[in-house]
This record gives sequence, C-alpha cells and structure tokens, in this order.
Amino acid sequence: MEAIKRKKLKEKIIENIFLICACVAVISLLAITFFVFYNGLKPFVSNSYSLWSFLTGVEWRPGSNLYGILYMFVGSIFATLGAIIIGVPVAILTAVFIAELAGSKVGKLIRFAVELLAGIPSVLYGVFGLGIIVPYVLKISPMAQGESLLATILVLAIMILPTVISISETSLSTVPMEYREGSYALGASKIQTIFRVVIPAARSGIMTGVILGIGRAIGETMAVMLVCGNPIAGIPTSIFSQIRPLTTNIALEMGYAAGVHQELLYSTGVVLFIFIMIINFTVNKLVKAKVGS
Amino acid sequence: MGRKMKDVLAKSIIYLATGITLCVLLFIVGFIFVKGISLVNWDFLTRDYNEKVFYAFVQEEVVPMTIDAASLSQKDPYDKRYESSLEGPIYIENIGAAVSKVAYKNNATEKEQFVFSYIEKDSPLLSATDSTGKKLSIGTDYILESINGTDFEGLSLEDVAAQINHETGELKIKVVQPGGGVRSNIITTLYMVLVSLLIALPLGIFGAIYLTEYAKPGRLVNIIRFAAECLAGIPSIIFGLFGMAFFVVALKFQISLLSGSLTVAIILLPVIIRSTEEALKTVPTAFREGSLALGATKLQTIFKVVLPCAVPGIATAVLLSIGRVVGESAALLFTAGTVAQIPGTLFSPGSTLTVQAYYVAKEEGNIELACAIGIVIIVIVIVLNILSRITSDKLNVFNKK
Repeated sequence: MEAIKRKKLKEKIIENIFLICACVAVISLLAITFFVFYNGLKPFVSNSYSLWSFLTGVEWRPGSNLYGILYMFVGSIFATLGAIIIGVPVAILTAVFIAELAGSKVGKLIRFAVELLAGIPSVLYGVFGLGIIVPYVLKISPMAQGESLLATILVLAIMILPTVISISETSLSTVPMEYREGSYALGASKIQTIFRVVIPAARSGIMTGVILGIGRAIGETMAVMLVCGNPIAGIPTSIFSQIRPLTTNIALEMGYAAGVHQELLYSTGVVLFIFIMIINFTVNKLVKAKVGS
Repeated sequence: MGRKMKDVLAKSIIYLATGITLCVLLFIVGFIFVKGISLVNWDFLTRDYNEKVFYAFVQEEVVPMTIDAASLSQKDPYDKRYESSLEGPIYIENIGAAVSKVAYKNNATEKEQFVFSYIEKDSPLLSATDSTGKKLSIGTDYILESINGTDFEGLSLEDVAAQINHETGELKIKVVQPGGGVRSNIITTLYMVLVSLLIALPLGIFGAIYLTEYAKPGRLVNIIRFAAECLAGIPSIIFGLFGMAFFVVALKFQISLLSGSLTVAIILLPVIIRSTEEALKTVPTAFREGSLALGATKLQTIFKVVLPCAVPGIATAVLLSIGRVVGESAALLFTAGTVAQIPGTLFSPGSTLTVQAYYVAKEEGNIELACAIGIVIIVIVIVLNILSRITSDKLNVFNKK
C-alpha cells in the first residue's frame, strides 16, 4: 500500500514538473512583454520625453535630445510593403510549381533549395546585399550612396521567399484531390484548375504565409542594417532615399546608449512589439477560421 | 486556341518565378563562395581573430639545417594573400629556424615584418616557455619582433640574422601569433549551441510531453500553444532587448556566454516544443495502451515506450535548434557581445561566427572576410539540413511500419 502511494506521489510530482516546463513558454512571453514595456514606457510615465513627439518626430538626434520615430515607422512600412509586392507573387508561383507541376524528384530538389534559403542566416543576406545589391543600386541611383529603400526592399523580398513558399506549398498540397478532379471533369485545363480552384481553396493558408512574411520583414534587423543607410532624419521620399527601420534603430545604438536614450530605444521596441503582436493575432485568427471551416 | 495560349503563358510565368527563386539561391551562395573561398584554409579555421603578442624564452642551441637551400626557399613565406616576400629566407643556426622578411598588408596598414618561414624538428623554438615556465608553441608564420630587447624594426634580414646568431644563452624573443582566423568564433558557437540546448531541450521536451500526454484540451493548453506561437513570431531583436534588460542588467550576468545562451534558449523553446509534439503525436496510441495494459505506469510508458519512438523527431528538433543558434545574431549582439575570444567561463563574452560576420562586414567593411565566415556557416547549415532530412525520414519509416 505504502509503495503504491509513493509511486502515485512520484507520478504526480513529475507531472507537475512537466506542467511547469510547459508553462516556461508562457512565463517567458510574459517576462519579455513586461521588461520591454516597463523600460519602454518609463520615459513617458516619468515625463522625461513626450509620447507625442516620440511618435510624430522625424528626427533622431540623441545629442540634441530629439527622439522621433515617425520616419522610421514609415520606412519600415514602405520596406515591408515593397518586399511583399515583389516577393509574394514569386513565392506563391514557386509554391504552385512545387505542389502542382513539379515531379516528385524535382519538387524535392526545389524544396531542399528553399529550406537552404531559409537556413542562411540573415547577416549573410545583408553581406550579399552590401556586396551586390548596394553597388548595383548605386549605379542607377541619383543619390551618392547605394544604401537605400530599394536595396532594403530587394533584400527583404528575397528573405521572405522561403517563409511564404513553404507555408503556401503546404496549404496547396492539402487541397483535396477531389476538387481538382471535379474541375478537370468540367473540362477545365490544369492551369485553369490551379488558378480557379486550387489557389482559392488554399487561400487562407497562403494568407497565413504572407502575414508571417510581413512579420519576418518587419522584424528583420541584421540584413537590413547593412543595406538601409540608417539616416538620422527624414521621411523617405523616393526608393533611392535612405531609411532607418525601427529594428535597426535599436540594434545600432543599444550598445552604447544610456538613460532616456536607452529607454527610448526600448520604446522603439514596444512599437515594434505591438506591430508583431497584431500580426500574431491575425495569424492565429486565420488559422482558427481555417480549422473552423 | 485562346485558352491554350493563356495556359502556356501562365505556365511560363510559374516556371519563371521558380527560376527566379532558384537563381537567387544560387546567386547568393555563389557570391559568398566566390568572394570568400580564397580566404578559407586551414590557418583561417585554426587561428584566432586577434593577433596575440607574447614573450617567449628560448634556450639557444645550434641546430644544423637538414634540408637543402633550394627546398628552404620553396617554403611558403606565410600568408601570400596579405604578404609579399621581400628578402630571404635565411636559416639561423642557433635557433634552428629560417626567417624571411615580408611586406604585410591588411586593409589600410602596410608594414615590413620578419616571419618564421621554416622551423627544424629539433629547434629550441619548439620547447619555448613563457616567464612562468609554461610551454608555448611557436610555429611558422609567427612574426618575430625583437630579441633580448633589440627591436628589429627597420633592420635588414642579414642584420637580424647576425643579431640572433650573436646572442647566446637564454633568449627572450617577442613573437606575434598572427590573427585573421575564426577559431575562437567557432568554439564560441559550439559553446553557445551546447549551453542553450542544455537549457532549452529539457524544458521543451518536458513541455511537449505535458501538452501531448497529460493536458486535457482546454484553456491552459490553448494559452501555452498561443504563447509558443507568439514567441516564434517575435523578432530576435526584441529577444535581444529582453535579454539585455533581464539577464545582463537585472540578473547581473553581464554580457556573457550565459546571457546569450539563455536568450537563445527562449528563442529555441517554440521550435523544440513544436517538433517534439509532432513526433509524440505520431507514436500510435496502441503502443501506449499496450504498455499500460502490461501494468506499466503512465510515467514508465512515456519514458520507456513513447519517448524512444519519438527520438528521430527530437533529433530533428535538435538539428533545427542548432541551425537557429548558428544563424542568430540580433539577439546575441547585446547579450553575448562582439568580442572575438573564447569565453573562459560562462560569465565571459564571446562572439559567434554569425555575429563576427556582421562585425567584420559592418565595422570593418571587409566583405571578403565576412563571406569567408559565411562559407563556414553555410557548410554547417547544409550539413544540418541533410542530417535533419535523414532523421525525419527515419521518423517516416517508423510510421509506415
């Protein structure tokens, strides 16, 4: 009797250990939220810098106590939009090729290539951008430097490819075979079936891929930092303007910043964080809607 | 006819898009290899990034040359990429080594140096010690700066040879171990992988066990899943901010291997939880029922039946995690630092390969070196990809049975 009781107790204890381990993810998320928000909201709560001038300022000059992030925000949005416009069509069509047109061997090969593309660290994309894209942009640019919105867009467009491809491909291949057969039976060609039946059926999965791609583009730091120029002021006016996305603002100055300057870098993080959370919630909703239907 | 044309057009656009994707990959990998390959060699992998200057004590001892003069001049006067040979080599008997004079060029700096180009097997240089009697190693390529306080700068090679031959007894020589390599970064990366996996693996696996084996569907499970998904979507720079605020500042771990590993461990958690969960789900329920029917407890069933079946899935998780650690840079910039050194303890800083690649590209503008480091990283990534393919195939084989 004693032995069984002890055994049961042991099982219970270990179950709770498992539970605690499972909760570490939740605790980490809460801790991250708390620390970033705590540090990031401090300057506004203690009135050492006004929230309004932080959100609407177009200059970031720590030396003259000017910390505006509006131009960075705009830069981030432009860069992400551009990357989506260029990258998403290429990615979806590649996914269509892998899922619908390629034979199993070719498909496997391309899938391997896409995985490799996903595994290349972002720094190397940045090095590539700095070594190839930036000099090339400089040739066609009226500006004196190649680091620009255009270079950032191109690097980001490449970087979102693997995310969008692999998620779209998965959702394309889960479309039931009957849909295709029904379409063929009605006399539609293979291509018509793909564009009129398969892609619409995989819509929500493709959407999830695109939104995750947006998340990756907005959150990208190291690659962008090498090719965007990082100016201290100015809303971008052309694709050849330099930009300073929110992420690189943090990465550039975190190493030496102190006091209000450092706290405002955390505030930049808060803005980025809210952005990403909105994206996360959208993805979550999309996935749920898909499961529901 | 119109429809056929449209189909052909659409098809060619699809092929074009796929072609673009493949070309981009080939172009990036090709660029990195072409730019960097000339720098990658054994020295690159085994040297530290920073030069190291030290004093060595050598007992003077006459060692005759055992090779002929022709093959001596064949000896590589150290790194040809940075240096051109100016004089020599001249064999110096009382240290049993040949020295050449080379012009050393590195980015902006250019200077003349004396370099060991050949060392005899019995040379006293090989039994050199530091001031405390600890053994030091002096190899070819090492730079010779002074002997017994006589600085060699501006001297000709003959003068240097005569000077060394003139000295007797214990010689105190100032030597520079050449830098430019990534040994310390490779070792730091290994440490980072080890420590972060040690932290994240048990947490992730046990968490996944709870989610698949114990938890009943409900609020708690939803919250945990949602948290893991959110963590997976947060950009690494935010993890970097958190790591700096929490581990570096609040817990006073300083910028160190430990802070970096803890930060990365959080990034790894969702990856490990998800892959392990997937693997556990593929284990047939009949296995669990069989084990329970034999009188095993739930815990015994999990550890003796379910987990062993899920090993390939967990191995895939480990490989994915290693890839993440190797590729991570934004989160490590402020938590593990950019110092190219081997962290002696958990509390000392060190830069991983990827951080080093960023550092040399951004701070030194040295794209070639960044690409050379990139080659090392890409080779690691390819090996990991192939391995994870093999392990996940194993998991599938098990499912088919």
